[in-house]
This record gives sequence, C-alpha cells and structure tokens, in this order.
Amino acid sequence: MTEVSILSLVKRYGTALAVNDVTLKVNHGEFVSLLGPSGCGKSTTLKCIAGFETVSDGRILFDGHDISNREPEDRDIGMVFQSYALFPHMTVAGNLAFGLEMRRVARDEINRRVADVMELVQLSQYAGRYPRELSGGQQQRVALARALVIEPAILLLDEPLANLDAKLRDEMRTFIRDLQKRVGITTLYVTHDQGEAMTMSDRVVVMFDGRIAQAAAPEDVYDRPASEAVARFVGNANILTGTVEAGADGAPGLRFGSEGTLLRLPAALPAGTAPGRGLRVMARPEQVRLTAPGAGDATGTVVSHYFNGGFIDYRVRVGADEIMVHAPTADRFADGAAVGLAFDAGRLWPLEGAA
Amino acid sequence: MSGLFRRHFLILPAAALLFLFVMLPYVNVLVMSLRAPSDSTPYGEGFSAGGYVKLFSDPYYFEALGQTLWLGVLTAFVCFLLGLPIALHISQASRRWRGLLYGIVLSPLLVGIVVRSYGWTILLGNTGVINATLRNLGLIERPLPLMYNSFGIVVALAHVFLPFMVLPVLGALQGLDPAVGSAARSLGASRFTVFRRITLPLAMPGIQSGAILVFVLAVSSYVTPALVGGMRVKTMTVMVVDALIDQFQWPFGSALALSLAVSAGVIVLVFARLTRMKWK
Amino acid sequence: MRLASALLGLFRLLVYVFLLAPIVVVVLASLNAGNFLTFPPQGLSLRWFFTFLENEVFLRAIGFSVVLGLAATAASLVIGTMAALYYVRHAKRRAESVRIAILMPLILPEILTAIALLFFFYEVGVGTEYYIALFTGHVLITLPFVFLNVVTSLQGMDEMCELAARSLGAKRFTAFRRITLPLAKPGMINGALFAFIISFDTFGISYMLKGTGSAPLPIQLFDYLRFNFTPEAAAVSTVSIILTLAAVILADRFFGLKVQRF
Repeated sequence: MTEVSILSLVKRYGTALAVNDVTLKVNHGEFVSLLGPSGCGKSTTLKCIAGFETVSDGRILFDGHDISNREPEDRDIGMVFQSYALFPHMTVAGNLAFGLEMRRVARDEINRRVADVMELVQLSQYAGRYPRELSGGQQQRVALARALVIEPAILLLDEPLANLDAKLRDEMRTFIRDLQKRVGITTLYVTHDQGEAMTMSDRVVVMFDGRIAQAAAPEDVYDRPASEAVARFVGNANILTGTVEAGADGAPGLRFGSEGTLLRLPAALPAGTAPGRGLRVMARPEQVRLTAPGAGDATGTVVSHYFNGGFIDYRVRVGADEIMVHAPTADRFADGAAVGLAFDAGRLWPLEGAA
Repeated sequence: MSGLFRRHFLILPAAALLFLFVMLPYVNVLVMSLRAPSDSTPYGEGFSAGGYVKLFSDPYYFEALGQTLWLGVLTAFVCFLLGLPIALHISQASRRWRGLLYGIVLSPLLVGIVVRSYGWTILLGNTGVINATLRNLGLIERPLPLMYNSFGIVVALAHVFLPFMVLPVLGALQGLDPAVGSAARSLGASRFTVFRRITLPLAMPGIQSGAILVFVLAVSSYVTPALVGGMRVKTMTVMVVDALIDQFQWPFGSALALSLAVSAGVIVLVFARLTRMKWK
Repeated sequence: MRLASALLGLFRLLVYVFLLAPIVVVVLASLNAGNFLTFPPQGLSLRWFFTFLENEVFLRAIGFSVVLGLAATAASLVIGTMAALYYVRHAKRRAESVRIAILMPLILPEILTAIALLFFFYEVGVGTEYYIALFTGHVLITLPFVFLNVVTSLQGMDEMCELAARSLGAKRFTAFRRITLPLAKPGMINGALFAFIISFDTFGISYMLKGTGSAPLPIQLFDYLRFNFTPEAAAVSTVSIILTLAAVILADRFFGLKVQRF
C-alpha cells in the first residue's frame, strides 16, 4: 500500500493554467474521488500522477519518493481509462498478461495470476474472447482486472463508468468499491458524476478552475459545502439570501425574500456574521418539508410537481424565490395550491463569504 | 533537443523526399520554362520568355490548350452523369451486393491505364467490336467514327477516371442516415424532392472533389489521348511529350506544361467558387 | 414512376457494363486465334500466350516491373508509415499542411511531376542512370497511398492504448512494437498493396524517367501498341491483369483485406 502526496502541483499549457497549485495527500488504502465539471483540471491532475503529462511545477510523491520525473512505466501504477483502452488485437487473457510480461514474470505465474484476477472480476469463461466480443460492462471489468493484476502501488481511474448505461453504472459502482476494499489499494477516481463520488469515496475532492474547492468526506461535502459553487455542483441546493437578525428569543435568524420571512438559523455561524449583515444559507430540497399554509416558516404557492417514484419533486414560489422540495409521496399538493414550508433549522448551512 | 528530435524524426524522411523531389524540381521547371532555347542542347544560356510567347501567339498551340481543357470539362461532366446514380445505388445496396458493386467500380483502378486504353481501342476501332457488330447486324454500312476523335477520348477518359468520381461521392453519402430520407418522406416530400433537397446537397462535397479530381487527371493524362486519339487529336500533354522527348526543347515543353497546369488550376478555382465549395 | 425506375435501373446496368467492357474485351481478344484483332474472333486459342512466353522483351519488362514495384513499395511503406504516425500523433496544428504536402504527388499532374523530376535529375548530373530517378518517382507517387491507408488504421485506434501499455510497464519502444505496430498493420498491408499496384501500372513517371535499358511493362506495352495490332498485346495485358488480381487475392488470403475509403 502506498501513500500519495501531491505538493503544489501546477500544469500549464502555454499561458493557460489547467492545474493551479493543487496540494493533496491520499492515505494508505484510501479511495479519493476528484470531482468537478469538465475542464476543471481533475483529469489533468490524474495524468500528471500517471506520468502522461509532465508537471510544470510542484512535486508528486509516492511513499515519500519523488516520482515527478519518472516515465509512466516506472511509476508502478494501474490505470483504467474512460475508453478502457483494451488492446483490440489481444484476447482477454492476452490483455491481462501484458503488464506481467512487461515485468518479466515467469509464464506459470502469469497464468496463475491471470486466472486469479479473472475469477476476481468474474470473467473466467471469457479468457479467449477479444475485447470487441464483450459487452461494455465486461470490457470495463477487463480494464479493471488488467490494472489490478500487476498489483500496482496505486490505482488510477479516469471516468471509468462514463460509457456505461445507467443501470450497469450503478452495479459497477458497488463492484469497484467492494473490489477496492478487498484489495485495499490506494485509489484515485476521476468523475464528473457527484453520485458516483458520493457513494464510492472515503473522501471527495471538488475541483473548479484548476483549484481544489473542498476536500472532505462525502457527508461533509454534501451537508457542509465550502462554497455556493460546491453546494450547487454537489446535489441540488436552495440558496436563500437575506440579512441576519436576532429572533424573538434572541437566537440568530435570517430575514429573506420579499415577504420578509424570518428563518431560524443553527447556533454556529461563520465568523464575522453579525445582525444586519448579508448571509447566504443552503437548504437541501429534502431538508424542507411541506405543511399546511401558515404552519411552517414560510408560505408559498406550488408552481410544479413531478412524480419521481419514491418521491415528489415540488417547486414552490415564495415571494421572488423558487424553492425546490423533495417530499415523500404521502404529501400531495396540486399545482397552484398554497403551502407552508418548514425548514430543518439544525441542517441549514450558512455559506462563507458575504451575500 | 532530443525530445524535439524524437517527435519530429518521424516526418523527416517524407519531408526530405517531398522537398528534394517535389519542391525543388517544380521550382526548377518554372526556371526552365524561362530559359533560352537552343538547337543543339536541351536549353541554351540566358533567359527568355520565348516559350510563352510562342504558345500564346501560335493558334495551333493555343487551340490545343483550349481543346484539352474542354475535353477535361466534358470528361468530368460525363463522369458526374454516370457516377452519381452508381454512387447512390451502391450506398443503398445491401451488404452482400455492395462488395461486388464496389469491386466493379474499383476494377478499372486495378488494371493499368495502358491496358484500359487499349481495351477501348479494341472496342471503338473501325474494325472494333462495336463497329463490327453493327455492320454484321446490317445497321450501318461504313464504320462509325468512334476513335481518333474527341468522342473516343472522352469515352475512354470517363471510363478510366469514373472511380475517382464514385469514391468521393460514396464517401460523402456514407454519413447519410437512411432514416433521413424516411423522415423527409414522412414530412410529405416526394422521392424526387428527397433527392433534390436531401441527397444531392449531402453528396455535393463528394461531387465537387470528384469533379475536380477527374478534371485534373483527364487534363494531364497522356496514354489515353495518345492511344485512343491517335495522331489526329493532339492534346497538350501529347505536345509536351513531343516537345521534350522528340524535339528536345525543354524550355518550350516546360512552358506548355506549366500553362496547362496553371489554366487547369484557374478552372478548378472558378468551379469551386461557382459551386460554393467549402475547402476542407 | 415505374417506367422511370426501370429506366434508371437499365441506365445503371449499362454503366456497370461500361466499367467492365474494356477489361473483358482485352481478355477475350487475347484468346483470338487469328493474326489480327478482328471481331468476331477467328476461333479460340492460347497461341498468343505462347508467343508472349517466348518474347523476352515482355518477360523482362514484367520482371522489371515486379522488382521496381517491390522496391518502391518497401521504401514508401517505411516513409509513409512514419509520416502517418507523425500526422496522427504529433502534427497537431500542422496536421492539415502535413496531409496536403504528402498528398501533393497525388494532386499534382503526374506528367508534370515526371517532367520536373527528369529535368531535376539531369541538372544534378544523375540523369536516368541506375534507375535512381525511376525509383524516386515511384516512391513519390506510391507514398500518398501508404500514408492514407495507415492514417485510416491509426485513426480507428484508441490513442489511449499506447498509454495503457506504458502504465502497465511497457517502455516507449515496447509499447510501439506490441501495440501500435500491430494495430497499424491492416493499413500498412492495404497501403502496400495499393502502392504495388500503382507502381505496377503507372505510366507518366515511368515513361519520362525510364532511361535506357530495362523499361517497366506499361511502357513496353505502350511502345508495342503504337505500331502493332496483333493479339499478343492483349495476351500481355491479360497476364498483367492476372498478376494484379493475384496480388489482391494473395493479400486478401494472407492478411484479410478491408475495403478502405479514399
């Protein structure tokens, strides 16, 4: 097992900064996702770690050894590509044996280890097939097995599920995560899908414009985002903008919207928050409840509702704002109905920075 | 330095080859066309524009230039007429037929240009297959003049270069989703309207490059006019070869060849402008 | 409507006949038993093939064409494959100019290129000696075909495959030898076949640059046809058609050809 340290990594293309001063430590056996929109530098970071891109500035350490200038083949990595990059002229077994052949492993041992890894990814019966004869999901497992069979120091995955259909993607999430836990390998996973990052990772690193916006456990990123951008990128978010005011009981509250609703805030507020100052607060759609009109913290009108199997997604107009509500199917309101909105005060999250 | 070399050494041999044996020789031809003529050697000392003056003042050469370009235009047009239905047919044919039809279209390419032109002399000659058949059937008394004239040359050239029209059009049609035609029909378009509004515009880039290719190849072909045209129809290329090989007049031959190339280039540009071609 | 379809069908059929007619006629003419190319033929015989087999000029020309074709193909294959790799991998913004430059011998009129080369080799003092000019000309005009075919192969290949091999521990050269080269192979085979056929059949370049001594088959055939009208030329042509077909069939049998687009 290996620990990866990225120190002040910078990658420039001409004058454009693809990666701008990224520092990150990945612990032994940890599963870390790099999450962000396309062009945020997450893939470039991964390519720098793999050695496919040269580093403009900064260093990359594996277990304390600087590998920034090593060729990819000397870094002891296993990589899974978005396109899988299986060798089309080799069988499944040939693909899996390639890395071991490069390491001059004896033939019997190659055969044994290839057989083992095929067992591991449940592909034993396909040893003699060519990649084009396999389904997308099977190809994906071959790619994973090919990266794992060489027992690399770290596993790098670049959007590996992007080419699969939705159902298979969900299956593969659990499959990859279980496998990673079983093998215990340090893993870096690049994705633009926040659901993937949430379900699979020990830690999620959200990146925007070549910088790390937040690096934290999935729950933290979701419930306590570091910025409005993170809040909006990870899941759906209602951002309420208003002014801080002391409530009737002296506890802090947020006066927001044209109706001037006063909303109770959690006790812990960011530094510098004082009555009279502007503040933005995040409320996730499932943290808002619909009530009878007048019963909640605010009153509004249902604009639209979409049935979503286990849930109904409402949009409710409150003054000039539109609030998303993710409600159980037991609460049914028609479009145009007047409703009350109850916010879960304990989980409202004040965002850093002035409104 | 080593990284730069590693990336660029791949192109070095090709670059050297093209620079030494295309760039330099073409510049040399340009210079050659302006050299002074000589009776005893291929070219004399000093420079002169005499070659060009001779070409443009002597109607014999000037008309040959016009005639050659006209034959090229005709050939391109005939190839268009014959090639478009074939390209459409192949693009719509079932998988099994497509291979065979493709083979037929490519077959002239696999047979040398000399053999193909020779085949046409057997077909078109005064005692050739066509004339002999017509005479045996009693349809004609004297052989039709099929060879040693412009007709024969255009027919043979069209055959020789038809694949160069069909292949680009096929390439352009390859991107055509068969559902597009059905979609247009469902919107109320007739078969002909689908052809005019959907298929033809899609095939257009292929038709353009095909027409240019055929025109350039036809204008610069030598074997076919020499064999099928005999000595009676003289195209520019035949004259160029005469001037260079038989008369040993390099400056004049160069002037003839360059004038042909430049005027063909002008026609290509005019054609591209007229058909609003998008250069790739 | 039905009449129009029928007419269109007939028209297409005629075009296909038009495409095949001269070739079929040459083969049939070679079987003519008579002394001249007359139609209908005066009986069937293989006598002109036997005449051809005794004609050393034609036999030597065929041998010469094959050797020249193989040599030019080998050179084009190496240079063209390297250029194709450069074009697909490294040319980046220069890609379009690289492509046009390499296709230049195909775009420029062959006869003009032939003349240019003839003058050039005379000016540098080599002339048509030692077949150097002829060989160079053949490499030039076959190069675009190798280039186009290899480029098609490489573009169909996932560029990540080579990186994947590197990540699995393969050195740069090993990755090239084990991954890139096998994947470029179909294009190289197609390209080599095209190159050989083009070299075997080309006229302009050979006519201008042949010099004294042996000449390629098309030149020998052309010279013969200008003054002779016996079916022997048809027999030689038929042999040349059969040789080309054999090359295609052999290549298909051993490597499995794919029809590639221009």
